[in-house]
Amino acid sequence: MTTTGTLYIDKKSPIHSLDGSIKLLMLLVWTAIAFLFTDIRVFLSLILGGALLIRMANITFKEVKPLVVFLLIFTLFNSLFLIIITPAYGSELIDQYTPLFNILGRPLTYETLWFAITLSLKYLSILPITIIFIFTTHPSRFASSLNKIGISYKIAYAVNIALRYIPDVRDEFVNIMHAQEARGVAFRKGEDSLINRFKNYNTILIPLVLSSLNRVEVVSNAMNLRGFGSRKTRSWYNGKKYGEFDFLVIALLLVGAVAGVLINKFYLSGFWYPF
Amino acid sequence: MKKERTKNIIEFKNFTFQYRSLGTPTLKNIDLSIQSGEKVLIAGPSGSGKSTLGHCLNGLIPFSYAGMIDGKLKINNIEPYKTSIFDISSHISTILQDQDGQFVGLSVGEDVAFRDENSNVDVDIMKKNVMTALKNVDMENHILKSPQELSGGLKQRASLAGIVMSEAPILLFDEPLANLDPISGRSAMKLISSVHEKSNKTIVVIEHRIEDVLAEKFDKIIIIDNGIIAASGTPTELILDGSLRRFGLREPLYIETMRHANIDLKELDFLNINNLNTTNIKENINNWIENVTPKIRSYDEKILEVKNLTFSYNKRENIIKNINFDLYKGEIISLLGNNGAGKSTLSKVITGICKKSNGTVSYKGKNIDSWSIRKRGQEIGYVMQNPNHMITQETLLDEVSFGLKHRGYKKVEILEKAENTLKICGLHAFRNWPITALSYGQKKRLSIATILALDPSILILDEPTAGQDYKHYLKFMQFIESLSKTGLSIIFITHDMHLALEYSNRAIVLSNGEIIRDDTVSKVLSHTETLNRANLKKISVSTLAEVLNIDEKLMLETFINHDHREMV
Repeated sequence: MTTTGTLYIDKKSPIHSLDGSIKLLMLLVWTAIAFLFTDIRVFLSLILGGALLIRMANITFKEVKPLVVFLLIFTLFNSLFLIIITPAYGSELIDQYTPLFNILGRPLTYETLWFAITLSLKYLSILPITIIFIFTTHPSRFASSLNKIGISYKIAYAVNIALRYIPDVRDEFVNIMHAQEARGVAFRKGEDSLINRFKNYNTILIPLVLSSLNRVEVVSNAMNLRGFGSRKTRSWYNGKKYGEFDFLVIALLLVGAVAGVLINKFYLSGFWYPF
Repeated sequence: MKKERTKNIIEFKNFTFQYRSLGTPTLKNIDLSIQSGEKVLIAGPSGSGKSTLGHCLNGLIPFSYAGMIDGKLKINNIEPYKTSIFDISSHISTILQDQDGQFVGLSVGEDVAFRDENSNVDVDIMKKNVMTALKNVDMENHILKSPQELSGGLKQRASLAGIVMSEAPILLFDEPLANLDPISGRSAMKLISSVHEKSNKTIVVIEHRIEDVLAEKFDKIIIIDNGIIAASGTPTELILDGSLRRFGLREPLYIETMRHANIDLKELDFLNINNLNTTNIKENINNWIENVTPKIRSYDEKILEVKNLTFSYNKRENIIKNINFDLYKGEIISLLGNNGAGKSTLSKVITGICKKSNGTVSYKGKNIDSWSIRKRGQEIGYVMQNPNHMITQETLLDEVSFGLKHRGYKKVEILEKAENTLKICGLHAFRNWPITALSYGQKKRLSIATILALDPSILILDEPTAGQDYKHYLKFMQFIESLSKTGLSIIFITHDMHLALEYSNRAIVLSNGEIIRDDTVSKVLSHTETLNRANLKKISVSTLAEVLNIDEKLMLETFINHDHREMV
């Protein structure tokens, strides 16, 4: 994480130069398509395409490792629960039963196993585009591009200001925790029971909320005194106009979205089970 | 050619203001005028109403803080409370006290551009403006940095860049020195002066750190006390008639020194320290030095021993390096150093918040390296700079009991201990009050009470005097001194040289994570090389000694031994 508290990594690439609102649109279209299908071939091609985009954005694996690991663990548990709770779900979908072995007295079928894999890949197929959105979109530029697509600049700026204060609040949280710890409040393993330790985090909450409220007062004063909200529109220091590349990507996205819907409707609808 | 200063740019006429939530007015019948191009200091103790006066000027009153206004106020021919906060901002620009809070942008450039953005200035022009503004304050190389990467002084500079760009003829600085170390404070004041000279704008500074402010020329000082204008005049006039001292404001230390030495200030150009080299003054000071008897204290029971302590976050770069020092029972020491010297890190390593990379810490001869933060907290109390970070409960009694409860004391014991501690700290009368009703200074004392209740043998105080005016400073420090007489050892972490000079027995100077000096306060503060290396400011008592060609160490010793408490 950088000192600004956001995950944005400053690099030069076509993906970085793409307008934030378009990246948001891309994320939405991509996610919608992923959820339209239950077809492993689609997900594999999405993952492959996403990997290419990540490569284009010069993002290294090291930078995104924590996020990837988190999502892998999440999908793994997700599949496990699916298998344990509904071991025959995949079979019901396509009405085909090929039992593998018994799980908690009920048969797990090959079809369910395939379904679990498909579902995991569905989640993973959204990962590359999420990474691209988070790691290549400058928060201020994103705020300005939200404003550009018609969202009120006050709301757009709220996004910006929230990001601005994440590191401050994070530091404050740690500070308060240490102060309480030195007073004898237990936060660490072995010092008290899990429930009590969890309860103790409550003690941090009050000073944190109070100081955050105070912060809000100072910021809003500072913003008012410098003319925020005095006009109907505002310009953006980090703002940019849409370029040719942006329009090209919009066009591609439209084509992609329409193609996705059509393919889903006429060719690859439903759960695909090859065996 | 100088512009004629005849026009009143700010004019209060029989002005009264009362906050909606309060029962009595905070400002009462203010009559005050400031002329165009003047540089004015508004001073006063905390709670005097000086900040409220500032809020009336920049429009935060009544637009952010509602209340009742009576009488008249005119700024640059408008009546601010009848317009809007935005209109006012084109007549008067403000730099707020809280450097972190007022930094709105994610980067320096963005923050400087904020005003232009809101006025819908074209991006290309805006970028040019930002560059010009940053060049004005020598910060063009920091344009991409985020606020977290900047020191307090640089943040101050960036916010100055942001307002210098505005067209407003008046600049208002609300406690510009708060949280700045002396060197940054000095350069901030210089910067304000140079803006004044270049632009001929009217400058209003609200501040109680008189010594740092008066190093620059001011046309007028206005002292607010209890909501009224208690005194106003040129700095020379107010020092001569003793107004500053009467209203709980501290005069520059070298002037205090001259008063100790019974030097008649009349007829002297005393605001300019370099003009004070006369035989008369020298004679008086020498007399004074001879007549003050030294106090000698010695300590023999070692309580804390720090050996070869090293700490780094990433194993490559050591934040503190090879630290060695001892602390004795009942001793008060000051850990001096500029921002980033490693003072706070050192205290965090001692309290266990940061894990040392090398070296040992021993308490009463026992190695405590394996002790947790909690266990160390029992013996070594750590009081943070901001009392709001330490307060978690609703009433004072609850707050003090809270730590005891977590230490597993019995109910009866808790009540007894908590009440006792509150008595010692002079807060017993408020024990059932909500903490929110306390003043900043009282909260600070409460935060110490919460730690004292746990019976530590060592107290580490991080910037104990930050944000307190002189009256409260004195009261507070006398309280701390009385604690040390009971055998408590105290470590101040501070860049306040006055605090170090007057209340500690020993000073340890940190620079770049290393101890560069550990000696008596007078020796440390008279050692120019040490001060320069640590980027610390010489205090004006030494400067006076230098001007008079008197031994600096001797002069500082005399100053320390002189009973400074008589000054209130």
